[in-house]
Amino acid sequence: MTALLRRLLERLLEAISIALLLGLAVVVVLAVVMRYSGSSPVWYDEVASVQLAWLTYFGAAYAALKRAHLGFPGVVLKCGPRLRPVFFVLGESIVIGFLVVMAWAGWVVLGVMAGESLVSVPWLGLQVTQSVIPVGCALFVLAQLLSAPDAWRRMRAGVDPEGAAIDEAIRHARETPAGRRPEDGA
Amino acid sequence: MTAALVIAGLFALILINVPIGVAIGVVALLGMVADRGTIALYNAALTLFDGATNFPLIAIPLFILAGALMNTSSISRRLIAFVTALIGFIRGGLSMVNVGVSLFFAEISGSAVADVAALGSVLIPAMKRRGYSPSFAAAVTSSSASLAIIIPPSLPMILYGALADTSIVRLFVAGIVPGLMGGFSMLLLCYWFAVRYDLPREEGFDLGRLWRAFKEAIWALFLPVIILGGIFGGVVTATEGAGLAVVAALFISAVVYRELDWARLRAALAEGVVQTSVVMLLVATSAVLGLYLTEIELPQRLAQAILNLTDNRFAVLALLNALLLVLGMFLHGAAAIILIVPIVMPLIHQVGIDPIHFGIILTLNLAIGQQTPPVASVLVTSCSIAKADIWSVTKSNIAFIGVLLFTLIVVTYIPAIPLSLVNLFYG
Repeated sequence: MTALLRRLLERLLEAISIALLLGLAVVVVLAVVMRYSGSSPVWYDEVASVQLAWLTYFGAAYAALKRAHLGFPGVVLKCGPRLRPVFFVLGESIVIGFLVVMAWAGWVVLGVMAGESLVSVPWLGLQVTQSVIPVGCALFVLAQLLSAPDAWRRMRAGVDPEGAAIDEAIRHARETPAGRRPEDGA
Repeated sequence: MTAALVIAGLFALILINVPIGVAIGVVALLGMVADRGTIALYNAALTLFDGATNFPLIAIPLFILAGALMNTSSISRRLIAFVTALIGFIRGGLSMVNVGVSLFFAEISGSAVADVAALGSVLIPAMKRRGYSPSFAAAVTSSSASLAIIIPPSLPMILYGALADTSIVRLFVAGIVPGLMGGFSMLLLCYWFAVRYDLPREEGFDLGRLWRAFKEAIWALFLPVIILGGIFGGVVTATEGAGLAVVAALFISAVVYRELDWARLRAALAEGVVQTSVVMLLVATSAVLGLYLTEIELPQRLAQAILNLTDNRFAVLALLNALLLVLGMFLHGAAAIILIVPIVMPLIHQVGIDPIHFGIILTLNLAIGQQTPPVASVLVTSCSIAKADIWSVTKSNIAFIGVLLFTLIVVTYIPAIPLSLVNLFYG
């Protein structure tokens, strides 16, 4: 059940984040084209900035699911098998606690923004743009919880997440047309 | 006292492996709530949003995406073939090819690990087959890849420029001379090793082969020339240049080389999302920390404390270099920039150091940090590909780290080296 939920969330976050990234690229390129055709879009800076914020938080939840956020696991890994789980639970609780508080505060803030909108796009309310804080934080919590069982197993086994990421990057590089070695065949 | 608690709390959280982006947010939030009560929570939520809307940082996801797209195609193999045809006939040529291609290619995707994996997967096995020791092959790959972060387009420079409110284009220009200087020093060092250990030459120089390799690599070679030319020439901004880089990378991979399938594109996009959001979460939470630090006037107090010791620019730079070198050993580049820049900028301004100059110094320190354990993901990646242990590679790497340190010292104490081109172009 957890694995299925995790896969669904991964697909959802991946789709949303990729759409946001591509959308950002399209907006920037469109703005260049429009500028050179003599009609610079007034909405460019504001819309692109909001897209970046959305990409940040949906992407952050996606990265949390993959446990890709920058950390310093060296000390915890050096601890004995008794201490490691304590630090793991403490660390997870701090992350989730912070995000729950921020999701709640972000939700309260939305109430204050009723009726306000972007300056250059009056039909787009600030409640919509700023909703990424409560929504993004909630998704981050969900991602953290769903990826916790795997992270727990790796921590118990003393697996270095950075080493695993490096192995993954090397494997990925060897699968590209540039990285295939002669002995790998065509 | 509060400042000491914040710093101690931050390091305690990092040591128990709380993600650095979250750790920054937690200490900032606790500090703000302790000072102003729960009302600060709403301010923090607003700042979390505002911190992620820093317009110049839009260049980061776009350059990351362009780099990820290029990493999925055979651009690295074509560049290697071209540089081999160009300088492979020199003794120890393959190690020089490694330096040359790394400077051109590395750090392009925003993930140093992905870039070193892309280049190292081709070059390190090739060097081993030609009789280079695995530790030497890993050391050359690792250190030249790190030097590349001062050659534009450089993501640490974009990050620094946005946080320090400094021109990203000027930072790019300032990185050119130190980057070339460090690169040529590394090439000389490779030649010295080649003569000393009788390392092999590749095939003899052949103009026909060079021309064929050039034609194969022409798109890869001209891509940065066009994009950086556009940025330096004022035709496009750094952000717009990044957007064009995405279009160009997509066009080259999909249309010219016909190597981009949907699975690879999806993987490249997903990787771009992860790399972007990891950096941007740090940026967003650091905005909350920045707000708190400004409230307690920590940067100003730190600046005053150091100015009480000395107001000599070069002494201050020496202190900052020492601090950055130590931080670089324990923190990833983006995290180090985000933590250090808001704190030291008032000091930089008060002492009269050019922020562009400091940006290059900071970036060079981070390059050295990537080579020094315990946190040295570039070095570890190279070791892993070469199947060499980290300490034997570090021994081989000492001379290359020496080149990086030499470049840092020269850049620190002769500001004209990074700034002469900037002054020439922008007055």
